Amino acid sequence: MNALELIGLKKSFRLHHSGAASLKTALLWWKRRRVEEREVLRGLSLTVRQGECVALVGRNGAGKSTLLSLISQIYKPTLGEIKIEGRLAPLLELGAGFHPDLSGEENVLFNGMILGLTRKEIRARMADIVAFAELEESIDVPVRTYSSGMLARLGFAVAAHVDADILIIDEVLAVGDFRFEKKCYDYLDRFRAKGGTILFVSHNPEAVMRVADRCVWLKDGRVEMDGPPAEVLARYQAAAPDPEAAP
Amino acid sequence: MIAELKLLYAKRELLWAMVERELRIRYKNSVLGFFWSLLNPLVTMCVMWVVFKFLLGNATPNYSAYVLSAYIPFMFFNMAVMDSAQSVLAALPVIKKVSFPREILPISTVLANFVHLLLALVVFFVFLLVVWLYTDRENFPFTWTLALLPVLLVLTLMFTMGMSFIVSALNVFYEDVKYVTSVALYLLFFLTPVMYFSENVLHRTRDMGALGEAIYIGYHLNPVAVIATSCKQVLLKPGPVDIGGQQIPASPLPLGLYLWTAAVCVVIFFAGYALFNRMKWRFVERP
Repeated sequence: MNALELIGLKKSFRLHHSGAASLKTALLWWKRRRVEEREVLRGLSLTVRQGECVALVGRNGAGKSTLLSLISQIYKPTLGEIKIEGRLAPLLELGAGFHPDLSGEENVLFNGMILGLTRKEIRARMADIVAFAELEESIDVPVRTYSSGMLARLGFAVAAHVDADILIIDEVLAVGDFRFEKKCYDYLDRFRAKGGTILFVSHNPEAVMRVADRCVWLKDGRVEMDGPPAEVLARYQAAAPDPEAAP
Repeated sequence: MIAELKLLYAKRELLWAMVERELRIRYKNSVLGFFWSLLNPLVTMCVMWVVFKFLLGNATPNYSAYVLSAYIPFMFFNMAVMDSAQSVLAALPVIKKVSFPREILPISTVLANFVHLLLALVVFFVFLLVVWLYTDRENFPFTWTLALLPVLLVLTLMFTMGMSFIVSALNVFYEDVKYVTSVALYLLFFLTPVMYFSENVLHRTRDMGALGEAIYIGYHLNPVAVIATSCKQVLLKPGPVDIGGQQIPASPLPLGLYLWTAAVCVVIFFAGYALFNRMKWRFVERP
């Protein structure tokens, strides 16, 4: 069964060279407006079967993040179709929407609701989430007092408890200390063992080799290569002349 | 629009959580907390009594109560629209990363302000009852018209929500909208019978013939003006108005104006929602 089916996806953005948005600019420069269409995705098709773990690699600007945002329903595609089978949990940024003045617990409640849980479900899981994030002592204080590592841990803990069928992850695993990173990977292993599907972007070849069983190389908004991680990574690294830009 | 409303209904729990969050955040770091919501109308009432009754010597019976009954809903409209102007823009970092119905942002802002409106009305009623109990046992302040209050509140809410949709969506692309709105709201306050009465307008225009009638009707084509006057009529017993020492008897608006206002409220609500839905997918692609 297919968890994700992307058919001929196209996405273009308008680039306004006039800069800041204001009525004045719009009125003064409406004739000289330079609007440039930039195609980020140019007819991309991809199918992810249920239970697969697919890694996306590619240079900056290849369209990886745009693709994940499209799947997460943040943008609408210019053309093409997205079919999703199951509950999707997008992890484009850990703790997106945390409010600094609210306590960790209040934020968990709110974040869980954004990710699609009901209040009751979150209450039932609160203890597990707090334990996973290892924040038992500071869950009642406002999150503005948290360190960035604590915030990331809490964000991941919420996402890990939403019972998703498909996880969409954008380079967010490189957070927290070594021990927490291991905890995240252990979680992903358990998630996969239960038949969960993962689509993730990573610039870390080790992470790709460790978790993914399929690797897709995006180049200029299209799929350049699709296959086993070892092969794709080898070709991708060979094609990247700049060592800085390697995966 | 049906599909959008269905999705919104599915996410209603998130909407309530947003309203709750909005109310919590507002008073999170203040000592008096929620009492600020109640304090505002009380202080306003005292200042109005001092200025209009004591300093200006206005002889309209129950003057401060009449002013307050229109001031409370006007402030709700004012605050709700101003708050929601920023609601989408402020949440831009979030809506770039998470997907949820974007209209929840202005709706929750308006509803949080609506909660304040209801609380202020409770204070208002308590005030009226206290005045009735301790000073003037003859005139019970409420009449059967109070039964119309829910209808009036729903229409006010719809109009406010519609305007908030429009302002919040436009403000994402043109930040000037917020400033234009605040000036417009300031002027609107004086063009709305809050500090004075519809009867004042009638008294001024009555002897001017057709032109006067046109001014009277034109003035009341503004739905906020009719809402303000309706609030005075529904919340309190319509009484005589003091104009230059003369007591002018209460005179209700023509029925057509009420119907017109109700229609405008409903149309603004749906038009605003439609506009918001048309624009909401472009918020994240803001230049």
